[in-house]
Amino acid sequence: MAVAIIWFVLAGKHKNAKHPKATYEDQAKSDVEHIFNDDFRQELRNRGRLYFEKIIGDNAMFLQQDLRLTTSQLNEYIKKEITQKLQEEFVQYEQTIRDANQIALASITQTNKALETESQALSAQLQQEFNAEKARLIKRFEENMAEIVNYYVLAAVGSQVDLNDQLSFIIGDLQANKDEIIKDINNGA
Amino acid sequence: MVPKDPAVETLPDQITTPGDLNRLIRELDNLDEYLNQAALRSSQEPSHLPQISKALEEVASIHSLQLLKPDDRKTFKALLDEIKKSAPTIHFGFATAPSLTFLAKLVSWLRSNIHPQILIRVGLEPSIVGGCVVRTTNKQFDFTLRKHFVLQHDLLVKSLSGLDHE
Repeated sequence: MAVAIIWFVLAGKHKNAKHPKATYEDQAKSDVEHIFNDDFRQELRNRGRLYFEKIIGDNAMFLQQDLRLTTSQLNEYIKKEITQKLQEEFVQYEQTIRDANQIALASITQTNKALETESQALSAQLQQEFNAEKARLIKRFEENMAEIVNYYVLAAVGSQVDLNDQLSFIIGDLQANKDEIIKDINNGA
Repeated sequence: MVPKDPAVETLPDQITTPGDLNRLIRELDNLDEYLNQAALRSSQEPSHLPQISKALEEVASIHSLQLLKPDDRKTFKALLDEIKKSAPTIHFGFATAPSLTFLAKLVSWLRSNIHPQILIRVGLEPSIVGGCVVRTTNKQFDFTLRKHFVLQHDLLVKSLSGLDHE
């Protein structure tokens, strides 16, 4: 704008000039010096500063608005992106949880089946061993029954058995083995 | 006097064990010693015997020996030594200590049926309830109740399982 004003002044002066070229130049220099004095320059600087500040302020306002808009858009964008990302993550997480749940259920079912099978096998084995032990005990009892009954009789009435009552019993056994005893005695050592 | 054959004469029932026979021999030795000393002191044979056991007296009577005569005592000693040497001995194991009466009856049967001069040794085997275990020179005879239980195993099983009541 300042440049336009200067151009306008110089143009006006040039239309009205009727003097020779050297004079015009001196006159122009004089006018320039007269017009563009320190006050005028200071005024121009002030105006330029004000205009520049106005431009800066307007630009700052535009920039601020633009920045606010950009920030808002950016916030919206980030919010949208984060929400979308979180939703995707949640979906994936839910899927993972679901998969893990299914795997755990399958594993538990399989473990239950295995345990049931093992339990049945153990039960059968225990029953078999129980039967074998029972048969072994019965067999052992029958094999050692004489010892067991003898021990029982000894514990029950052992101290009350009178030898005199057994004399006929003993002599009967001796009589049954009489020949063998005589033979062994006669043979000697 | 010639002694009778010791192989055929029966020992009295009071002498049942080798210990009894040894006691009899010791008693005869003591008696012989006593009578010899008495004869030396009085230069005459003693007219009466000191107190002697019934068994010694009975054995001497069985063999018609007079204990006041030194020759008879010598013969008697030789007879007892011969019996000790030749008499068979069998071992009886009982659950409890038998009474003298029981032993006398048992020895009486043994001498009547097995050997007239048989001697027995008695041992205790508390593990047997009834009956006895007899050991001769080379053999052992189990006459215990346990053995009878073993022999009657099937009957025992039936009795315990109650089958014989069905």
